[in-house]
Amino acid sequence: MRYLKWTVLGTLALLVFAFLHYTLPQTDIVRIVGTDTKRMDLGENSWFWASPDVGTAPGTSRDVYFINAIYPDGSTMEYRNEDTGWGWPPYFKMDSSSTNTEAKELTSTAAAPKWVAVRHYGWRNELFTIFPNAISLWPVESPDVRIIPWVNIVILSFLAFVLFMAWRMWAQFKERMIEPAVIEAQETFDDIDRRADRARAGVSGWFRRVFGRK
Amino acid sequence: MIAFFKLALFGYIGLTVIYWLLSIYFRSLERERLEKTYDHEGGTGSREVFIAEGMKAYEGSLRRRLVWLVFIIPTAVVVALVWILNFS
Repeated sequence: MRYLKWTVLGTLALLVFAFLHYTLPQTDIVRIVGTDTKRMDLGENSWFWASPDVGTAPGTSRDVYFINAIYPDGSTMEYRNEDTGWGWPPYFKMDSSSTNTEAKELTSTAAAPKWVAVRHYGWRNELFTIFPNAISLWPVESPDVRIIPWVNIVILSFLAFVLFMAWRMWAQFKERMIEPAVIEAQETFDDIDRRADRARAGVSGWFRRVFGRK
Repeated sequence: MIAFFKLALFGYIGLTVIYWLLSIYFRSLERERLEKTYDHEGGTGSREVFIAEGMKAYEGSLRRRLVWLVFIIPTAVVVALVWILNFS
Protein backbone atom coordinates (compact mmCIF):
# COMPACT_ATOMS: atom_id res chain seq x y z
CA MET A 1 0.00 0.00 0.00
CA ARG A 2 2.87 2.33 0.87
CA TYR A 3 4.53 1.64 -2.50
CA LEU A 4 1.28 2.27 -4.31
CA LYS A 5 0.82 5.60 -2.53
CA TRP A 6 4.32 6.80 -3.37
CA THR A 7 4.04 5.58 -6.97
CA VAL A 8 0.82 7.55 -7.47
CA LEU A 9 2.20 10.67 -5.75
CA GLY A 10 5.48 10.42 -7.66
CA THR A 11 3.68 10.09 -10.99
CA LEU A 12 1.50 13.10 -10.18
CA ALA A 13 4.53 15.19 -9.18
CA LEU A 14 6.31 14.16 -12.39
CA LEU A 15 3.27 15.14 -14.48
CA VAL A 16 3.03 18.54 -12.79
CA PHE A 17 6.75 19.12 -13.28
CA ALA A 18 6.60 18.04 -16.94
CA PHE A 19 3.58 20.29 -17.55
CA LEU A 20 5.31 23.33 -16.02
CA HIS A 21 8.57 22.53 -17.78
CA TYR A 22 6.77 22.39 -21.10
CA THR A 23 4.57 25.46 -20.59
CA LEU A 24 6.77 27.98 -18.78
CA PRO A 25 9.15 30.11 -20.85
CA GLN A 26 12.87 29.40 -21.07
CA THR A 27 15.54 31.48 -22.71
CA ASP A 28 18.30 30.10 -24.94
CA ILE A 29 21.22 32.07 -26.32
CA VAL A 30 21.88 31.00 -29.87
CA ARG A 31 23.09 32.14 -33.25
CA ILE A 32 20.36 32.14 -35.88
CA VAL A 33 21.48 30.56 -39.13
CA GLY A 34 18.26 30.88 -41.08
CA THR A 35 14.51 30.66 -41.23
CA ASP A 36 12.22 28.59 -43.35
CA THR A 37 8.59 27.72 -43.82
CA LYS A 38 7.45 24.14 -43.99
CA ARG A 39 4.10 22.58 -44.65
CA MET A 40 3.21 20.44 -41.64
CA ASP A 41 0.49 17.78 -41.63
CA LEU A 42 -0.04 17.26 -37.95
CA GLY A 43 -0.93 13.78 -36.78
CA GLU A 44 -0.44 12.17 -33.42
CA ASN A 45 1.96 14.96 -32.45
CA SER A 46 -0.72 17.65 -32.90
CA TRP A 47 -0.88 18.13 -29.10
CA PHE A 48 2.54 19.70 -29.28
CA TRP A 49 1.61 22.29 -31.89
CA ALA A 50 -0.18 25.56 -31.28
CA SER A 51 -2.86 27.00 -33.50
CA PRO A 52 -3.08 28.43 -37.03
CA ASP A 53 -2.51 32.20 -37.32
CA VAL A 54 -5.21 34.25 -35.62
CA GLY A 55 -8.10 34.81 -38.00
CA THR A 56 -7.20 32.01 -40.40
CA ALA A 57 -9.21 28.82 -40.74
CA PRO A 58 -8.50 25.98 -38.30
CA GLY A 59 -7.00 22.75 -39.58
CA THR A 60 -4.27 20.19 -39.02
CA SER A 61 -2.36 20.99 -42.20
CA ARG A 62 -0.66 24.36 -42.45
CA ASP A 63 2.54 26.22 -43.23
CA VAL A 64 4.69 26.85 -40.17
CA TYR A 65 7.62 29.25 -39.80
CA PHE A 66 10.80 27.71 -38.43
CA ILE A 67 13.97 29.25 -37.02
CA ASN A 68 17.21 27.28 -37.34
CA ALA A 69 19.81 28.04 -34.74
CA ILE A 70 23.18 26.93 -33.35
CA TYR A 71 24.09 26.92 -29.66
CA PRO A 72 27.44 28.43 -28.60
CA ASP A 73 28.79 24.86 -28.19
CA GLY A 74 27.95 24.07 -31.83
CA SER A 75 24.91 21.83 -31.33
CA THR A 76 21.80 22.56 -33.35
CA MET A 77 18.35 23.74 -32.39
CA GLU A 78 15.17 24.30 -34.35
CA TYR A 79 12.28 26.43 -33.16
CA ARG A 80 8.83 26.62 -34.63
CA ASN A 81 7.34 30.09 -34.77
CA GLU A 82 3.60 29.73 -34.41
CA ASP A 83 0.80 31.93 -33.13
CA THR A 84 -0.75 30.70 -29.93
CA GLY A 85 -3.57 33.23 -30.37
CA TRP A 86 -6.26 33.03 -27.73
CA GLY A 87 -5.55 29.37 -27.00
CA TRP A 88 -3.29 27.38 -24.74
CA PRO A 89 -0.59 28.12 -23.57
CA PRO A 90 -1.63 31.73 -22.80
CA TYR A 91 1.21 33.61 -24.46
CA PHE A 92 -1.29 35.52 -26.64
CA LYS A 93 1.24 35.44 -29.47
CA MET A 94 -0.25 36.77 -32.69
CA ASP A 95 2.85 38.21 -34.29
CA SER A 96 4.58 35.12 -35.68
CA SER A 97 5.14 36.97 -38.96
CA SER A 98 6.98 39.80 -37.15
CA THR A 99 9.02 37.26 -35.21
CA ASN A 100 9.93 35.68 -38.55
CA THR A 101 11.12 39.08 -39.82
CA GLU A 102 13.18 39.68 -36.67
CA ALA A 103 14.77 36.24 -37.00
CA LYS A 104 15.73 37.03 -40.61
CA GLU A 105 17.21 40.36 -39.47
CA LEU A 106 19.28 38.67 -36.74
CA THR A 107 20.65 35.91 -38.96
CA SER A 108 24.45 35.70 -38.84
CA THR A 109 27.38 33.55 -39.91
CA ALA A 110 29.95 31.65 -37.85
CA ALA A 111 32.60 34.18 -38.94
CA ALA A 112 30.65 37.19 -37.62
CA PRO A 113 28.23 35.79 -35.03
CA LYS A 114 25.29 37.83 -33.69
CA TRP A 115 24.11 36.26 -30.44
CA VAL A 116 20.38 36.20 -29.90
CA ALA A 117 18.33 35.37 -26.83
CA VAL A 118 15.30 33.28 -27.79
CA ARG A 119 12.48 33.06 -25.29
CA HIS A 120 10.49 29.93 -26.01
CA TYR A 121 8.33 27.27 -24.45
CA GLY A 122 8.09 23.58 -25.35
CA TRP A 123 10.45 20.76 -26.09
CA ARG A 124 12.50 19.62 -29.05
CA ASN A 125 11.93 15.93 -29.65
CA GLU A 126 13.17 14.19 -32.79
CA LEU A 127 11.18 11.04 -32.06
CA PHE A 128 7.80 12.79 -32.41
CA THR A 129 8.92 15.76 -34.54
CA ILE A 130 8.03 18.39 -31.99
CA PHE A 131 9.68 21.79 -31.63
CA PRO A 132 9.76 24.51 -29.00
CA ASN A 133 7.75 27.60 -29.98
CA ALA A 134 9.80 30.81 -30.07
CA ILE A 135 7.95 33.67 -28.33
CA SER A 136 10.38 36.56 -28.70
CA LEU A 137 13.92 37.32 -29.83
CA TRP A 138 16.37 40.00 -28.84
CA PRO A 139 20.07 40.53 -29.54
CA VAL A 140 22.57 40.07 -26.69
CA GLU A 141 26.25 41.02 -26.35
CA SER A 142 27.79 37.60 -25.86
CA PRO A 143 26.75 33.99 -25.26
CA ASP A 144 27.63 34.38 -21.55
CA VAL A 145 25.05 37.01 -20.51
CA ARG A 146 22.98 36.02 -17.52
CA ILE A 147 19.23 36.19 -17.99
CA ILE A 148 17.12 36.30 -14.85
CA PRO A 149 13.86 34.38 -15.44
CA TRP A 150 11.49 37.04 -14.03
CA VAL A 151 8.46 35.62 -15.77
CA ASN A 152 8.98 32.22 -14.15
CA ILE A 153 9.65 33.79 -10.76
CA VAL A 154 6.38 35.73 -10.96
CA ILE A 155 4.29 32.80 -12.26
CA LEU A 156 5.66 30.25 -9.77
CA SER A 157 5.24 32.69 -6.86
CA PHE A 158 1.67 33.28 -7.98
CA LEU A 159 1.02 29.52 -8.16
CA ALA A 160 2.45 29.10 -4.65
CA PHE A 161 0.16 31.93 -3.47
CA VAL A 162 -2.87 30.24 -5.07
CA LEU A 163 -2.00 26.94 -3.34
CA PHE A 164 -1.56 28.75 -0.02
CA MET A 165 -4.94 30.51 -0.40
CA ALA A 166 -6.64 27.22 -1.34
CA TRP A 167 -5.20 25.63 1.78
CA ARG A 168 -6.31 28.56 3.96
CA MET A 169 -9.81 28.47 2.47
CA TRP A 170 -10.07 24.73 3.03
CA ALA A 171 -8.87 25.11 6.65
CA GLN A 172 -11.44 27.85 7.27
CA PHE A 173 -14.22 25.78 5.70
CA LYS A 174 -13.25 22.76 7.83
CA GLU A 175 -13.06 24.78 11.04
CA ARG A 176 -16.32 26.69 10.54
CA MET A 177 -18.54 24.26 8.64
CA ILE A 178 -17.42 20.63 8.92
CA GLU A 179 -16.22 20.41 12.52
CA PRO A 180 -19.31 22.09 14.08
CA ALA A 181 -21.54 19.77 12.01
CA VAL A 182 -19.57 16.71 13.19
CA ILE A 183 -19.75 17.86 16.83
CA GLU A 184 -23.49 18.46 16.50
CA ALA A 185 -23.99 15.00 15.00
CA GLN A 186 -21.95 13.47 17.80
CA GLU A 187 -24.03 15.26 20.42
CA THR A 188 -27.20 13.99 18.79
CA PHE A 189 -25.82 10.45 18.81
CA ASP A 190 -24.74 10.78 22.45
CA ASP A 191 -28.20 12.00 23.28
CA ILE A 192 -29.83 8.99 21.60
CA ASP A 193 -27.34 6.74 23.36
CA ARG A 194 -28.08 8.24 26.75
CA ARG A 195 -31.81 7.96 26.20
CA ALA A 196 -31.39 4.31 25.20
CA ASP A 197 -29.28 3.67 28.31
CA ARG A 198 -31.89 5.29 30.46
CA ALA A 199 -34.65 3.26 28.83
CA ARG A 200 -32.66 0.06 29.32
CA ALA A 201 -32.00 0.97 32.95
CA GLY A 202 -35.68 1.68 33.38
CA VAL A 203 -36.69 -1.66 31.88
CA SER A 204 -34.22 -3.68 33.96
CA GLY A 205 -35.32 -1.77 37.05
CA TRP A 206 -38.89 -2.74 36.29
CA PHE A 207 -37.83 -6.39 35.84
CA ARG A 208 -35.88 -6.26 39.05
CA ARG A 209 -38.82 -4.79 40.84
CA VAL A 210 -41.20 -7.44 39.51
CA PHE A 211 -39.02 -10.56 39.59
CA GLY A 212 -36.17 -9.42 41.81
CA ARG A 213 -35.07 -11.22 44.92
CA LYS A 214 -36.84 -10.04 47.92
CA MET B 1 -12.67 34.97 -33.33
CA ILE B 2 -14.31 31.78 -32.03
CA ALA B 3 -11.14 31.05 -30.01
CA PHE B 4 -11.42 34.51 -28.42
CA PHE B 5 -15.04 33.97 -27.39
CA LYS B 6 -14.19 30.51 -26.07
CA LEU B 7 -11.41 31.99 -23.92
CA ALA B 8 -13.70 34.79 -22.69
CA LEU B 9 -16.58 32.41 -21.91
CA PHE B 10 -14.58 29.74 -20.07
CA GLY B 11 -12.29 32.33 -18.50
CA TYR B 12 -15.21 34.24 -16.96
CA ILE B 13 -16.91 31.00 -15.88
CA GLY B 14 -13.70 30.05 -14.05
CA LEU B 15 -13.38 33.54 -12.53
CA THR B 16 -17.02 33.42 -11.38
CA VAL B 17 -16.29 30.20 -9.47
CA ILE B 18 -13.21 31.81 -7.87
CA TYR B 19 -15.22 34.97 -7.04
CA TRP B 20 -17.90 32.87 -5.38
CA LEU B 21 -15.37 30.82 -3.34
CA LEU B 22 -13.49 33.94 -2.23
CA SER B 23 -16.74 35.72 -1.24
CA ILE B 24 -17.67 32.80 1.01
CA TYR B 25 -14.17 32.69 2.49
CA PHE B 26 -13.96 36.41 3.30
CA ARG B 27 -17.52 36.43 4.66
CA SER B 28 -16.58 33.54 6.95
CA LEU B 29 -13.45 35.38 8.12
CA GLU B 30 -15.53 38.49 8.87
CA ARG B 31 -18.11 36.51 10.85
CA GLU B 32 -15.33 34.83 12.86
CA ARG B 33 -13.74 38.24 13.56
CA LEU B 34 -17.11 39.63 14.74
CA GLU B 35 -17.71 36.63 17.02
CA LYS B 36 -14.28 37.04 18.59
CA THR B 37 -14.75 40.79 19.04
CA TYR B 38 -18.06 40.22 20.82
CA ASP B 39 -16.68 37.42 23.00
CA HIS B 40 -13.50 39.22 24.07
CA GLU B 41 -14.40 42.89 24.08
CA GLY B 42 -18.15 42.69 24.39
CA GLY B 43 -20.64 44.56 22.26
CA THR B 44 -23.98 46.25 22.51
CA GLY B 45 -27.05 44.04 22.50
CA SER B 46 -27.22 40.31 22.02
CA ARG B 47 -24.53 38.31 20.21
CA GLU B 48 -26.81 37.45 17.25
CA VAL B 49 -27.84 41.06 16.68
CA PHE B 50 -24.24 42.29 17.02
CA ILE B 51 -23.04 39.78 14.41
CA ALA B 52 -25.99 40.37 12.07
CA GLU B 53 -25.38 44.13 12.13
CA GLY B 54 -21.63 43.66 11.63
CA MET B 55 -22.27 41.41 8.62
CA LYS B 56 -24.71 43.94 7.17
CA ALA B 57 -22.05 46.66 7.46
CA TYR B 58 -19.50 44.31 5.86
CA GLU B 59 -21.75 43.58 2.85
CA GLY B 60 -21.70 47.28 1.94
CA SER B 61 -18.04 47.87 2.71
CA LEU B 62 -15.12 48.55 0.41
CA ARG B 63 -13.39 45.35 1.56
CA ARG B 64 -16.35 43.31 0.33
CA ARG B 65 -16.30 45.10 -3.03
CA LEU B 66 -12.57 44.46 -3.50
CA VAL B 67 -13.43 40.82 -4.31
CA TRP B 68 -14.55 42.17 -7.72
CA LEU B 69 -10.84 42.55 -8.49
CA VAL B 70 -10.99 38.82 -9.27
CA PHE B 71 -12.61 39.84 -12.58
CA ILE B 72 -10.78 43.10 -13.15
CA ILE B 73 -7.14 42.03 -12.59
CA PRO B 74 -7.07 39.02 -14.98
CA THR B 75 -8.84 41.06 -17.69
CA ALA B 76 -6.30 43.88 -17.30
CA VAL B 77 -3.40 41.38 -17.31
CA VAL B 78 -4.61 39.75 -20.54
CA VAL B 79 -5.09 43.12 -22.26
CA ALA B 80 -1.62 44.23 -21.09
CA LEU B 81 -0.01 40.95 -22.22
CA VAL B 82 -1.59 41.13 -25.69
CA TRP B 83 -0.34 44.70 -26.01
CA ILE B 84 3.20 44.10 -24.68
CA LEU B 85 3.81 40.81 -26.50
CA ASN B 86 2.52 41.88 -29.90
CA PHE B 87 2.32 45.64 -30.38
CA SER B 88 5.20 47.23 -28.50
